[in-house]
Amino acid sequence: MKRITLKQVTTEAKLLLIGIPVFLWTMIPVYHMILFAISPRDKATSGQLFPKQPTLDNFGVVFEQKHIYLTHFWQQLGNSFVIAFSVAAITLFIATTAAFAISRLKVRGGRTVMNLALCTYFIPAAFLAVPMYKTMSSYGLLNNHWSLILAMVTIASPYCIWVLKQASDKLPFELDEAAKMDGATAMQLFRLVYLPLMVPSLVAVGTYSLLLAWNEYLYAFLLLSKEDTLTLGVALGNFLGADDSPWELLMATGLFYALPPAAIYYTFKRYMVSGLTAGAVKS
Amino acid sequence: MASVSFRNIEKSFGKTKIIHGISFDIQDGEFVVLVGPSGCGKSTLLRMLAGLEEISGGDIAVDDKVVNDLESKDRDIAMVFQSYALYPHMTVRDNMAFSLKLRKADQAVTDERVSKAAKILNLDVLLDRFPRELSGGQRQRVAMGRAIVRDPKVFLFDEPLSNLDAKLRVSMRAEIKALHQRLKTTTVYVTHDQIEAMTLADRIVVMHDGIIEQIGTPLELFDRPGNLFVAQFIGSPSMNVFEGKLRTTGDKPVVDALGVNWPVERVKQGTDGQAVSYGIRPGDISIMESGQGIPAKVIVVEPTGAETELLLEVGGTRIVTVMHGRTDAKPDDIVQLHINANKAHIFEAQTGKRLD
Repeated sequence: MKRITLKQVTTEAKLLLIGIPVFLWTMIPVYHMILFAISPRDKATSGQLFPKQPTLDNFGVVFEQKHIYLTHFWQQLGNSFVIAFSVAAITLFIATTAAFAISRLKVRGGRTVMNLALCTYFIPAAFLAVPMYKTMSSYGLLNNHWSLILAMVTIASPYCIWVLKQASDKLPFELDEAAKMDGATAMQLFRLVYLPLMVPSLVAVGTYSLLLAWNEYLYAFLLLSKEDTLTLGVALGNFLGADDSPWELLMATGLFYALPPAAIYYTFKRYMVSGLTAGAVKS
Repeated sequence: MASVSFRNIEKSFGKTKIIHGISFDIQDGEFVVLVGPSGCGKSTLLRMLAGLEEISGGDIAVDDKVVNDLESKDRDIAMVFQSYALYPHMTVRDNMAFSLKLRKADQAVTDERVSKAAKILNLDVLLDRFPRELSGGQRQRVAMGRAIVRDPKVFLFDEPLSNLDAKLRVSMRAEIKALHQRLKTTTVYVTHDQIEAMTLADRIVVMHDGIIEQIGTPLELFDRPGNLFVAQFIGSPSMNVFEGKLRTTGDKPVVDALGVNWPVERVKQGTDGQAVSYGIRPGDISIMESGQGIPAKVIVVEPTGAETELLLEVGGTRIVTVMHGRTDAKPDDIVQLHINANKAHIFEAQTGKRLD
């Protein structure tokens, strides 16, 4: 049997000392959310660690839209999905083509674009909320899903271009040259060599922009105001508009709202593997 | 198959000129090796022929047709890269078939060409593997297979063996040579390894600092190097060279260097007292069993079995000899050297040009 040294014990202890508080810090709010969601209305704030009569009735109310705040629940959930996936798709298209043009085709002005992309991060998104609102209103896009989709694409794209450019710089350039010698046009190079090799980065960037749009509150709140165009995130915020907020329903809806991002993360996690380019060139 | 001509080729990166007007022709079916130290411009020259690098001046012609403005894909030239550059997401089969797929070749034709190339290169059993599942030598063969299936006019090799270990390098070298003997496709091969150049080439182009130092068959370069650079670059171990003065007053010319007279068979050019460099290959110096030669002190004896390499000292300068067989000489012994005067090389001291 291996002897456990004092050093190993202290290392382990140090890790636990950091790990346990971080775990509690993260999980206590989630625990409370679950606790609220499965408690009957009058017991929700009773302070018990676990309700005496746990119930799933709250979810029933949510799914059947049986509350004034929940009359458009399914519609709003759908809106969130449509907006998040549209943002991810459009951002991916823009960022991939931009990164390919800048990193592989070395188009003129590529550096400038990269610098500008980085510059946008000096300006917090909240500063741009009002100008964005003005712009969308002058194009007549307010209360239209496109306003939020375009706004989120604007916010997500620079970062995604930056990340993809860095990732594609790491692909060996000889691959492009080999494909060129083999007779590939720029489009064929993009489709047949570049895209397949960029899959891990594309998944990462796509997930990032999808979750960014899914979780967006400020812009969604400003640009969309009609009940049936709202995203679920904003609708959740509206629960707090009443003096007597239905906490148990808010938490039940919130729990449900948190499930898709978790599912997306776990679905795509396995695609975010490195080492896909192993064997291309001798390193 | 095709001939290739370089006519006054120049290349500049920004203001730095790295190739200064190079001209030479490659015959149809010839195996030409560009060799030189790193930074001499040999890879750049190859990449200009491939169409991967712009040509700053002059013309490159394939089969007498200038290709300067043709894209790589329209030049019908295949290249094997130093790093292999295999597509990592494709199987060996797809890697080899890629160029045919882009040309929308018939599936039956593609399959036939791929399996034929795979047979030539012993890749039959590896066709469904991915590059990451292959060894270095196998990847190298796939890279060659990818070039073969295209049946191009010209093969280009850019230091294809420098990523392999020494043993594999020797066997792959033989495979490349066998491949050329079989396919007889015009080949341009770039390397910095003069042994590779000597063993593979029909003709060698020795480059240095963006110019051609000498073009010739391997043995021409070995036997009659045109200047000091070629003399010292070609051959291993490299030629012993020392500076001295030419003496033509005796019955046979000699070079007075390191305090002794080094024999020369004949010198047509050159005057008495002229400053020259005297060159003698390690294999052209032998140790005399008896009699008076050039005395030398033994520093190191390196037996390799069939041959013995000796590091000696004459007049404070180290020289190397290689002798067949074995020797009893030990460090600090004084041996008498015999010089094969017929094989001595004389170069002008200032310009490094060969004097005959």
